[in-house]
Amino acid sequence: MDKSLIKLKVEERTIDESAKPLLERTLEEGIETAWDRLEKQQPQCGFGQLGLCCNRCSMGPCRIDPFEKDGPKRGVCGADADLIVARNLLDDLVTGAAAHSDHGREVVETLLMTAEGKSQGYEILDKEKLYTVAKEIGITTEGRNDTDIAKDIALSFLEEYGTIKNSIDLSKRAPEPTQDKWAKAGILPRSVDREIVEAMHRIHMGVGADYANILLHGLRASLSDGWGGSMMATEVSDILFGTPEIKESWVNLGTLKEDMVNIVLHGHNPVLSEMVVKAVKEQEMVDLAKQKGAKGINLVGMCCTGNELLMRRGIPIAGNLLNQELALATGAVDVMIIDYQCIFPSITQVASCFHTKIVSTSEKSKVPGAVHMEFHPETAYDTAKNIVKLAIETYEQRNPDRVKIPAKPVKMMAGFSVEAIKKALGGTFQPLIDAIANGSIKGAVGMVGCNNPKIKQDYGHVTLGKELIKRNILVVETGCAAIASGKAGLLLPEAADLAGDGLKSVCHALGIPPVLHMGSCVDCSRILVLAAELAKALNVGIDQLPLAGAAPEWYSQKAVSIASYFVASGVYTVLGLPPKIFGSKNVIDLLTSGLNDVVGATYAVEPDPVAAADLIEKHIDSKRKDLGI
Amino acid sequence: MKNVFIDLEKCIGCRHCEVACAIEHSSGKELFSMYFEVPRPQPRISVKLGVDLMTFPNKCQHCDPAPCMEVCPVNAIFRDVKTDTVQVQEERCISCGMCAMVCPYGAIQYQVRPNLPNEVAYKCDSCISRLENGKEPACVEACVTNALVFGEYNEIIAEKQRGISLNLTREIQGYKEEEMPENIKAFRALQRKVAQLGPLPSSQNKINVNEKN
Repeated sequence: MDKSLIKLKVEERTIDESAKPLLERTLEEGIETAWDRLEKQQPQCGFGQLGLCCNRCSMGPCRIDPFEKDGPKRGVCGADADLIVARNLLDDLVTGAAAHSDHGREVVETLLMTAEGKSQGYEILDKEKLYTVAKEIGITTEGRNDTDIAKDIALSFLEEYGTIKNSIDLSKRAPEPTQDKWAKAGILPRSVDREIVEAMHRIHMGVGADYANILLHGLRASLSDGWGGSMMATEVSDILFGTPEIKESWVNLGTLKEDMVNIVLHGHNPVLSEMVVKAVKEQEMVDLAKQKGAKGINLVGMCCTGNELLMRRGIPIAGNLLNQELALATGAVDVMIIDYQCIFPSITQVASCFHTKIVSTSEKSKVPGAVHMEFHPETAYDTAKNIVKLAIETYEQRNPDRVKIPAKPVKMMAGFSVEAIKKALGGTFQPLIDAIANGSIKGAVGMVGCNNPKIKQDYGHVTLGKELIKRNILVVETGCAAIASGKAGLLLPEAADLAGDGLKSVCHALGIPPVLHMGSCVDCSRILVLAAELAKALNVGIDQLPLAGAAPEWYSQKAVSIASYFVASGVYTVLGLPPKIFGSKNVIDLLTSGLNDVVGATYAVEPDPVAAADLIEKHIDSKRKDLGI
Repeated sequence: MKNVFIDLEKCIGCRHCEVACAIEHSSGKELFSMYFEVPRPQPRISVKLGVDLMTFPNKCQHCDPAPCMEVCPVNAIFRDVKTDTVQVQEERCISCGMCAMVCPYGAIQYQVRPNLPNEVAYKCDSCISRLENGKEPACVEACVTNALVFGEYNEIIAEKQRGISLNLTREIQGYKEEEMPENIKAFRALQRKVAQLGPLPSSQNKINVNEKN
């Protein structure tokens, strides 16, 4: 490929400076990445993009003519555009809810095994959280030992996945007016698994033909994720591994080190990665690495398991979704350990261009070409040590001439759990509430979600983030969005200089950045808890607060679930890429306006981040006006 | 003049036409068996991306006079009088590439055919056997949105003219214009924005490329 064309492509694909030289390398050497595959996929089918293709049963596949002229208006079964779009959306939504919640289940199961003394390497690290959660869900703590309490919590939480309780305990954390709205709309979540199974039932042919009824169930299923599966993942991870506290670390592909054994932890669940963190600290491992000529072992995260480690341990993070193949293209990764979610099936292909080994660890998530070292809580620590040993052995095969680590890492601040934010505010949310009331902070936005190669990597996140803080809107982030801001330097207290005067003064007074990293994508539940705390303090529903959500570069079904539980909880949410609903005007109308009467919030779609900031500011202004502040 | 008329606004890039074309030109004329044929039948229509994620289904337009036919040194390309279509006599083709060079649509490619030693010119044959049986071409039949319509050009154009007259007079008289559904218009506007924010072709990128050159 022509050099000037390569330069042009690189500039079109990312704003991440640490990614650019590696993207250049992939183009020069013909190493295929997601961007190349997106190009090869063009044109992408319009029926699919509009949500008008139904491929569920064998009378189909069917598609509806979007131009409403002579083409088909109903599928073979009789489903019209509204129904097909609604079914497809519900399918996407519960796929996402299932991913979060199944991750949560594994954490809860690990807590149970730890309480029963069956796991290896785990302990209950955060007793305060243990007692808080126990008390909240009605488990006696007095005169009982921690393992008994933990066992009761685990069993009680596992029942949240079942159908005996018929309600989700943690959803009671929502302020009463919000819960009342759910009850009135008939969308109080009953159980994590039940809502997902019922959704799969509802999208079977001949079950529901009313698009609105199907979408309402989508909201209920999303609530069982946000206030259920995801929230349990967060809370129990905190119990096992500690509630995050504010700390400093480093971010971008420059966190990989030339003279060290590099292990990248990629995926989502902290139960495995926490054991790897322990294993690399063992003197035996450090000695072995030195014996092989390395200066030591360098552990870095990638995507949300990276966020989990960053939040609790300050482990540096190499990047977000679109950095995964580029990290491998450094030729410096000895082992990339994967669990599940957002792992490109092609990573073994990229790894095969170098000495790098991909180690898969979940029975659910095997990848051809990977070394499979299956992880179970009973043998977790042994497995972690074996993987670290493999990394050290693989280091010996590294070809130094192929190593290209192009950038210096950027400093960042993370660890802003709800508890840490409260502590930073002096033990009460009152200073934040006062700042919002007096207008120095106009409102807050939860910016979440992924990378999507259709949008220049990180451009959506960083541009929207800068626009919002400039307008005195505090930004809290999780997932790929937070990593993007980290790379761009927005997660530093110094970034407050980019903020409007009001937000700047608050940040300076507290020594915090204007954009707060709140964790992994299941930690969007922390954003819900924060919103609930603010609403309760003001005695209002979440929908009355000057808040908004944004997912400027989303790609995943998990993002559909997150956006939906934000909206269902009363948070107006702006998506940067159109969801597959534009084949139905009725569905668009319901989601972008009708839902206001049901849950007090709607979705919006705006790819341009500056225009998205305008929408958000307008929304926040109107909420402030309604509150009389 | 009977041919396939392309309504650009209605193409949504689903590529059903490509699949239908390949099936029609397979020996089994059936989707599942087609995948086991060697060489795998290739489509003779190609849907490619333009700017702002718009798409265009490109194929031989059976020109008259046809430049490909005029330059072919071995007379391998001829006009079928009955169907008024341009056809390739594959056994005669010497793979010289002349026809592809002069084709204004880039609609001629080369492929291996059963029982022939060289890669020969292949292009849309307007599904000649279907035409002979009174059917329309496979791509047209497969097009769900009617972006591809087969018929007498003047009739299709007359229909289009009626539509334009209706819309113009409706507008003048203050009636609601009959136009693209609102949701589709909204979607296209968003697609345009997405195209400007990433590596996919957009009018903006196109301008940059030109400036660079």
